[in-house]
Amino acid sequence: MSGALDIATAVLLVAGGLFCIVGGVGLHRFSDFYQRTHAASVTDTAGAGLMLLGLMLQGGLSMVTLKLVLVLAFLLFSSPAIAHALVKAAHGHGLALELEIEDERGGDGDAAG
Amino acid sequence: MRLGVLALLAAVWLALSGPYTLHGWLIFAFGVVSVAFVWRLYLALERAAGGGFEFFRASAWLRLPRFLVAFAVKVAAANLHVTKLILSPRIELHPRLRRVPASQKTSFGQVLYANFITLTPGTITLDLRDDELLVYALDAESEADVMDGSMDRDVLRIEGGSN
Repeated sequence: MSGALDIATAVLLVAGGLFCIVGGVGLHRFSDFYQRTHAASVTDTAGAGLMLLGLMLQGGLSMVTLKLVLVLAFLLFSSPAIAHALVKAAHGHGLALELEIEDERGGDGDAAG
Repeated sequence: MRLGVLALLAAVWLALSGPYTLHGWLIFAFGVVSVAFVWRLYLALERAAGGGFEFFRASAWLRLPRFLVAFAVKVAAANLHVTKLILSPRIELHPRLRRVPASQKTSFGQVLYANFITLTPGTITLDLRDDELLVYALDAESEADVMDGSMDRDVLRIEGGSN
């Protein structure tokens, strides 16, 4: 394993870890449920993505890398689905959104799921 | 299509567990059982949803790499923006709820677009109804990423004149 590759992996892992921490800090600093979901998505995309990328460099062209690609693919489908389900449930059950701008909504009577 | 899903499941199982453990008959049996079980779940889901599995058309696979690059660039930029918001000494957000047209023709394309928006930090899709998305954005800059329609076009391109 070449030194440059190891360094690249280390940089990606540390960067991913930093984004995970940033996501966690955001969870605390943002003020309501809806804003916090955005902070969490930093962890889901930049955090997990960079770490998996770093690990793929170590895997090279192998089954390990294929598995890591599949992990990333599953993550990219499941995390927005979960985020959407959470936010839609909160919205449908009337958790208030603090908004500065809002487009008028039509036919929203059946929002509760 | 159903058999295609079965083949896909089997391929995924083989990729994840197969080559290392095919010599063990017990593991192989577990594989057959789990693939059959997930396929059974899929069939139930198909019945409940009233429609089958939709995925990219063959021609769209060629456009996938370009889409993935565009996707990675947008998600990276949005991550940096939200990171800046999180780490700024005073948190100043201007949350907003906007209706955004989803011009994709297939439900698969629309869901892909909605997921794209949700995955991009700073914007999240609240609802999808009548070819329109309800998008919650943290501030004007996050909102602009969606409102300029570039993500919509990215997804349209990969959906590529379906049928």
